[in-house]
Amino acid sequence: MSDPVLLINVLLLVLAIVAAIAAMWTRNLLGAVMLMGIYSLLLAVEWANLFAMDVSYTEAAVGAGAATILLLTALTRTGSREKEGPKLHWSALITATVTGVVLLYGTSDLPRFGDPQAPATIHVSPQYVTQNVGKVDATETDRLEGDFGDHVPNAVTAVLASYRGYDTLFETAVIFTAGICVILLLRPAAGQARRREDA
Amino acid sequence: MNVELITALLVIGGAFLALIRAVKGPTTYDRVLAVNVFGTKTVLLLALLGYIGDRTGFLDIAVLYALINFLATIALLRFVETRRLT
Amino acid sequence: MLNYLADGLLLLGGFFAFSGSLGILRFPDFFSRLHPAGTSDTLGQLLILGGLSLRVLLDSPDAGLSVGKLIAISLLLFITTPASTHAISRVAHLAGLKPWTGEANNDGEATDE
Repeated sequence: MSDPVLLINVLLLVLAIVAAIAAMWTRNLLGAVMLMGIYSLLLAVEWANLFAMDVSYTEAAVGAGAATILLLTALTRTGSREKEGPKLHWSALITATVTGVVLLYGTSDLPRFGDPQAPATIHVSPQYVTQNVGKVDATETDRLEGDFGDHVPNAVTAVLASYRGYDTLFETAVIFTAGICVILLLRPAAGQARRREDA
Repeated sequence: MNVELITALLVIGGAFLALIRAVKGPTTYDRVLAVNVFGTKTVLLLALLGYIGDRTGFLDIAVLYALINFLATIALLRFVETRRLT
Repeated sequence: MLNYLADGLLLLGGFFAFSGSLGILRFPDFFSRLHPAGTSDTLGQLLILGGLSLRVLLDSPDAGLSVGKLIAISLLLFITTPASTHAISRVAHLAGLKPWTGEANNDGEATDE
């Protein structure tokens, strides 16, 4: 990572922290929804900066588009100001702090970022770096003519779609089922729907 | 410290100022305007970062986000106007 | 020579983008904040994306796809930014927000919530 990219990374992360703190701090729920939209947008640019294109697309489309609209739909059913709670919620603070400390202590056991001796670098990465994913019948002429023949040119896409292919398949099934269940539960009664359409 | 980096820093500075307006803005419409401006700055930032890092994939994300920004702004406005989304 | 033109376009566009945001922060009233958001921001993005496409063309003469995408982004932003600004101002006007009349204590804050 050259210096200008590092500088922009740091600036983006600082902006994201400012947006997140502002979103938590404000009592106006509509403003909080907009600030969360800004936060996920900054994260999308950060993922793009780390060369993870798929994650960036997903974050931009889901976080800044779909999640904002979902939260607005939720806001139509509630009030638009958060009610005043206690000033400091001790049990929540202690739980969050203990969990955070335990997680940080757990991550100290992981290999260093980009460690050449890590198991992921020795066994998994070379397979994707040499673009062998899904290579079934592709010959050299196929690649020269532009047909990738089941190769995946981007490493992040290779990991997401091929190494984690079953994971992605079942995640998609789970999300689809959840969406169907929520639509079934939130469907208005038949008479109520006709009355709302007349309004 | 080439020209694109200076422009990118200027655009980030503009985005930060719009963020301050989104936090401060006394009315809701200030916040909606600030979010829209922030989205435009982000599209510019993506195009500039794509040139600095020499990756052409950033432009696709920029096109996607230009459309989504418009859609989210109109959704926000419709919600604010009628308290409904349909 | 054309490199300096691209440099100049980029820096000028960056200046307009930054000053537009500074205007959004400093102007006293919502309706006056619409001006820097709608016009200055649009001009800034036209200049920046124009300078960037010129720079891409100068770097490698067969970058037609990138230049096409940049022109598409510029066109999209050129059409949607003024439309969004108009929509925001229309909703604010219909909701009864009054413009700042220049009196000393009227800061333009509307009691919205």
